[in-house]
Formats: sequence, C-alpha cells, structure tokens
Amino acid sequence: MHLLEVENLTKRFGGLTAVNNISFHVDESEIVGIIGPNGAGKTTLFNLISGFLKPDSGIVKLRDENIIGLAPYKIVNKGIARTFQVVRPFRHLPVIANVLVALKSPRGSKKIEWLKTPIRKAVDMLEDVGLTELMLEPAENVGHGDLKRLEMARALATEPDLLMLDEPFGGLNPLETDFLMKSIQRIHLDHPTRGIVIVEHKLYALMKIVKRVIVIHEGKKIAEGKPEEIAKNKKVIEVYMGKAM
Amino acid sequence: MSTYFRRFYSSFTSHVVDIPPRLLAFLLFLLLLTFPVTKPKFTHLLLLALANTGAIFAASWDLLVGRCGQMSMGHALFFGMGAYSTGMLSIYLHWPIWVTIPLSMVVSVLLALAVGFPCLRVKGPYLALVTMSFPLITTGVIFYFKDITMGERGLSGLDRFFPFLPYEQQYLAQYYFTLLLLLASGIILYKIANSHTGIVFISILDDDVASKASGINITKYKLMAFAISAGFASMAGAVNAHMINSANIGMLSLTTSFLPIIITFWGGIGTIYGPIAAAYILQILDRYVLTDVVPLETHWHMMIYIVLIIVLIIKWPRGLARYTTDELEDLEEARDIDERGPRIWKKYKKKEKK
Repeated sequence: MHLLEVENLTKRFGGLTAVNNISFHVDESEIVGIIGPNGAGKTTLFNLISGFLKPDSGIVKLRDENIIGLAPYKIVNKGIARTFQVVRPFRHLPVIANVLVALKSPRGSKKIEWLKTPIRKAVDMLEDVGLTELMLEPAENVGHGDLKRLEMARALATEPDLLMLDEPFGGLNPLETDFLMKSIQRIHLDHPTRGIVIVEHKLYALMKIVKRVIVIHEGKKIAEGKPEEIAKNKKVIEVYMGKAM
Repeated sequence: MSTYFRRFYSSFTSHVVDIPPRLLAFLLFLLLLTFPVTKPKFTHLLLLALANTGAIFAASWDLLVGRCGQMSMGHALFFGMGAYSTGMLSIYLHWPIWVTIPLSMVVSVLLALAVGFPCLRVKGPYLALVTMSFPLITTGVIFYFKDITMGERGLSGLDRFFPFLPYEQQYLAQYYFTLLLLLASGIILYKIANSHTGIVFISILDDDVASKASGINITKYKLMAFAISAGFASMAGAVNAHMINSANIGMLSLTTSFLPIIITFWGGIGTIYGPIAAAYILQILDRYVLTDVVPLETHWHMMIYIVLIIVLIIKWPRGLARYTTDELEDLEEARDIDERGPRIWKKYKKKEKK
C-alpha cells in the first residue's frame, strides 16, 4: 500500500492538456521531487491532488482511499497539507495567529498533544521553522523568505501524513535556501513516517534532499528515478537545455 | 470577601486601567450610566435607549463584515424580522416580552442559516447584491399577508418594557435595560471577535483559499458569523420595536440596511467598539443636533452624513475609534521627547528659540 497513489490523472483547460495521463506514487517516509520547465503542469498537478481543481479523469488515492471530488478542506483533514507557490499569508493576522488558524481545523485541533494549549503548539510549530522571533509581528510586515517558512509552519500544524511543498525555495537567497533545506530535513527526521513531495525549479537545492525525482514536461511524465540517474538522463537534459545542434 | 474584592480590583487594573482604549470605553460607560442624574427629558432618554439598540445592530454588522468579510447590505432583514416576530408573538399570542425577544432571536438565527446557505456561495459585490434583495423580498411577503402583518401600517400597540412602573420611570428603566444589554452584547461580540474562532473569521476575510488549505470548513464559519450576527441584530430589532411600540415596514427598508454601514465606517470597521461609539454620535447628531439645535428637514440629514463620511474617509480612513486609540497609545508610549515625532519636536524647538 502506497501513501499516495496517482493513476492516469488528466486535466484539460479548453484545448490545452495541462496534465496528461500522469501516474506516480509516494511511499511513507519518502521525499519525492517533481521537476520540470515552466508551464509543465506541476502546480496543476498539485491543485488536482489537493482538491482545488477537479480532474477530467484519473484517480488519486490516499492510503487506498479515493480522494477525488472531496473539498480541499476535507483533503487537508484526511492528511494532505500543501503550501502555495505564491505565498498566501493572512496579512491582518500576526504570524502566530496564522498557525492558530490551521490548529482550529478538525485535524489540527485533534493533533494537539494532551495538556497543550493551541498557542503552545503554535509556538512549537514556529520553532520548527525558526520563526519564533517574529511571532507577534503582523504577517504584512514579514519578509518573503519568512513567509515561505510561515506557509510551511501552517501546513505542518495539521500534522499531515503527506506534505506537499510548491516551490519552497522560490525567491529565496542562498542563505535562506540553506536554512529551509535543513529544516525540511529536520522535519523529515522528526516524523519518519511522513511523505514529502516537493515541486521545485532550483535543482541544486532539490537534488540534495530528495530520494526520487519525477520529471514532467508539457503535462507528461518523461522520467523517474534517483537524482543521479535523472541528472544524466538524455531526455531530461534535452528538455532543460534544448537539443544538441 | 476581601480577597475576592482584591482579586477583582487587580484584574480590573490590569485589564481596564492599564489599556487606554478600554479605560476610555469604561469612562464612556460610566458617563452613560450617570447621565440620568441630570434629569433629562424622557424623549432624550428614549433617544439614547434607541442609540443603545442601534449600537448593538451596528456591532453585529461589524462582526460579520469587518471580521469575517461577508459583505451584507441587507442587515435590515434580521432587524426587521426580529421586530416583526416579537410583535406578532406578543400581539396574537399575548406572550410576555421576556419570551418573545429570545424567540425572535431564534427565528432570525434559523432564517440566517436558511438564507446564508445559498447566499454564501457568492462572494464580494455579488454577495452584497444578493443580501440586499432579501429585505425587499420580505417586504413583499409582508404586503401579501396584509391581514396578519397589517401591511404598510405595521404592527402597533406592542407591549412596553416594565409596564408596572409609572410612565416617566419606564423610560429610565428601559434606558438602563438597553444600556446593560449593550454592555453584555458588546462584550460577547468583542470576545467572539478576539477568540480562536475570531481568528478564523479574519483568516476568511484575508484569504479564503489559504484558509481552505489550512483545513478550515469556511462555509461552516461563514454561517456561524452570519447566525451570530443575525441573532444580535434581531435582538436589537425586537427591543427597538418594543420601545417604540410598533414594528413597521421602515425597519426592513434600505435605510435601515445602510444605517450600520454608515455607523461602522464612522467608528472604524472591524473594531466592534468603534461602531458602538459611533452609534451615539449618529443618534445624537440625527435626533438632537439636527432636529433640536439646528432644525433641518429629514432629507438634508442624509446629505450631511454623506459629506461627513467623505470627510472622515479622507481624514481618518481607519475610523474614529482607531484614530483615537492610536493617539492614546502614542501618548502612552511617547514619554521621551525623541519618540514623540516631528510635531512635538517643532514645539520643543520653538521654545528653545524663545
């Protein structure tokens, strides 16, 4: 039994087939990377899995349970949490309250440990990503790099079985990238059964943490395998660099 | 006994006296509480009692729109439904006031759930238009069932509050009753707005997609805000109807719908306490200054409000209450001359020159 199983997923926007017959699976305690050039359909794939878009055909299974057609919040409560490529903080709320929102969801409130208040739990979540200093700052005053980490803390607050990160390193400087990479690895060590899916452009950062990579081009899966294999794959090089003259 | 008193005193100092806005609210409440000492005319007491219910009405609108972001242009629906349901129950069934007012709240909450379920599928300006239509529909229904609802004449001869008291004291008693009601509902609304649930309301206002992605059932929370808001609005409507002894079609009109909007924008949207303060300003302006001091015809009132709103939005876009509390907090913090900003600096420099 796989943690997440995607079978023959297809989504068309008018004449454009954004996601074309993609199948893959994610196991427990696995970090999987999804890469591909701009417009390859990575974010659409994410939206299909997290319920923000309805696929034209195909199946998404979480622990052998079909989750196609469920509302996004129900999918989160089943155990799939996601972040957004363009950060979506609650700008009027302080940083800690952003995390508290997720702790009010059914799954989030159930996962609060015994004798722990939601605020204590939120502080712990912020500690995991290193945001405790900005705890009481309104989210509108917080910089982009910190918002990326805040998004991750908010997704982690529901204690998901599968964490889906949509371009977590987008727009971060090398220092921030390094820090976020380390915190992803730490989160992975702390919760060994959790599966993580990362969509990313920055291959340098991604290849270091993932165990398996899936390459998507124009909606189709063109390669899958270990990072070293993918880096040597001719098709992938062709897609990224263009054909040899 | 003394320990309880000490504990009460210490919690009072830390929760009220140390926070300037709350101290201001407390002083205003004291002022209103001691106002009848000046032996005002009973019309002025009624005027302030109506301001109290208007404040509850505006604060309930503020919870729905300022905190949850669900633009409602038809809040008169709940105000009017509260008035009509308490009126019908007390006229036809002769039930006492203390039963009919809570029942009218229940009716309005159920109505809010029924109306909210289809309404809350649309967002923004569309939601405003849909909610605006419901009071109009209800007006049509009331005209259709003329023999029960008395059509455009409205229900009259509703029970008064405290009928066993002498006539003059009835007004005093209902003034205090509405003031305490305002205090209670103001505190409840403020507590809801600042609770964990209130945080979720603000998250829906800020970004509903992100709250969905956080696992929040936003329909449930929107309905919750709608129901709470409707309950308090209908309570205001019901109490209002019993004070003026009638439930009429004007309570469902567009003017009534726009009243909380005007009040809330004056006071500061999303503050809960702002609209409560602004309700008094509007009521005193409307029923005292513009009628007794400077008598003007009614249609000029709306013009003056509009001009005032434009001036306020340009001058203090975040509302009177926020402006005042910001100033107070600045005063509290800026004890050092360096922190007081350029204005104080200029004064300081002028003194030096002299």
